[in-house]
Amino acid sequence: MDPIPVPKPKSVRNPNRPASSLLLAQVHHLREAEKNLPTRYHSGIFHKSLITEGDVARYAQSVTEAIHKAHNDAAKDRAKAAAKRKAPRRRAQADRTTQRKRQPGEKKKARTKAGRKG
Amino acid sequence: MLPGLDNLRHIVVLMMENRSFDHMLGSLPGIGGIDDAGAFSNPDTNDNPVQPQALAEFQGQLNPDPDHHFPAVDLQIFGNATNRGRQANMQGFVKSYFNQRQDVAHSQKIMYYFQRKDLPVLTTLALQFAVFNRWFASIPGPTICNRAFAHYGTSFGRVDMNPFDVIEPIKSIYTRMVTANPARTAKVYYYDTASSSMEVPNLLQNQPQVFGQYRDFLSACDNNSLPQYSFVEPNYTDHDSDSGEEVANDQHPDHDVQAGELLIAEVYSHIKNNPKTWATTALLVVYDEHGGIFDHVIPPPCVKDRFQSSQLDPSTGQGFFFDRLGVRVPAVLVSPWIPKEKVVDRVFDHASIPATVTKFFQLNYPDAGPREKAADVFIEPNDGSGNMANNLLSLDVMRTDCPDFTLPS
Repeated sequence: MDPIPVPKPKSVRNPNRPASSLLLAQVHHLREAEKNLPTRYHSGIFHKSLITEGDVARYAQSVTEAIHKAHNDAAKDRAKAAAKRKAPRRRAQADRTTQRKRQPGEKKKARTKAGRKG
Repeated sequence: MLPGLDNLRHIVVLMMENRSFDHMLGSLPGIGGIDDAGAFSNPDTNDNPVQPQALAEFQGQLNPDPDHHFPAVDLQIFGNATNRGRQANMQGFVKSYFNQRQDVAHSQKIMYYFQRKDLPVLTTLALQFAVFNRWFASIPGPTICNRAFAHYGTSFGRVDMNPFDVIEPIKSIYTRMVTANPARTAKVYYYDTASSSMEVPNLLQNQPQVFGQYRDFLSACDNNSLPQYSFVEPNYTDHDSDSGEEVANDQHPDHDVQAGELLIAEVYSHIKNNPKTWATTALLVVYDEHGGIFDHVIPPPCVKDRFQSSQLDPSTGQGFFFDRLGVRVPAVLVSPWIPKEKVVDRVFDHASIPATVTKFFQLNYPDAGPREKAADVFIEPNDGSGNMANNLLSLDVMRTDCPDFTLPS
């Protein structure tokens, strides 16, 4: 069977085409998702001003990227917080180990020095 | 044991937008389309019969976008009858479209369908692989709630476009896959961030990790690294992107149907061009709903969902129980293990998608809703539990005569 040629679409790109009811519903959904993000991730785009497909695409890109960024940042924050929670424990453990090793000598020295100075 | 099922590792679903079966595939003879255009008609508002005609155009014809919300689809299916015991007759399409522009001549265009030569990609796939001639939208309504059925097996009581809440214990097919033991892999691929997803309120908002972009999907096809389940969304808008100017390819009226043809060909070609991907993948191309465009087949009843809609069913005056399907849509299953010219005349709807994926990948998931539990599956598992008579990947030897497409440069 010979390869079947797929015609090149003749349409001219038109981002100024009025947004369909589907795209306006998508804006509504994106707005709901945006409201759940911390304000620093908000697009600053007034969603009710979106009229054309190009408008919707710009808003969709902004919110979609913000959702991913917010989740990535939250994952990093969680990792940092987990590391911090572990870090004091590790330091305390290290301190205890150090104390156990040095305790006898250091206590003697401290007392000796104190005694001499006094 | 069937080698096609033994080899199957990946299921891919490409869900297009808003075209009816008769509109796209009705020209193909002998598959339950418009074999005899004179046999079908719809009255216009002057009560003159309007017959289907092969005059559909790629763009510019269905403007404004035909109404496909719940009340309009009710008119299209029942032809204005609202009484108890009314019978569906598919007689209200022209009248429904007239309501939007009050233009009798324009309203008749809702009956137009494409000639076979207009759609070389979709019609070739339909003839070369398996075409479903009784795949219906899950709801007689619009996009978002119909797509919800593809992801959850239910729309949680919605027949409209508003955001919905996922009601436990029902889980998306993606959650079922990635939390299974052993874990499976699943992705939703949106076209790019400017097109984004139609699954924002629950999936994108809460599980962005299950999303990828279309270019990632194409790379995964090329590298034979597809997830076990992929759901591909088209580009919904004309917009600028980093890679240039993008044209909507979802085929939603009034977007260019040829751009959608190109998308389908590209998805098919990337799967086919890697021999390992091709041998191990089944691709379903399906449309989410009919978009208000004429189809002649009366949607069948189905089991009630566990939810009831707040929108009233005109025949009962009560909330809609999700006990009948929406209008018929095009659906084609592609695999080199499917024989040529297979016509599948069992009833399917979008709940068949999570039902099939759950069953094939043997996910332990007892919480499916009644609609999903009752939905037929299009791929049976190869473990003896499935009905092998219904298995579409039925060949003993992989085909080597599958078509190729030449994409425009």
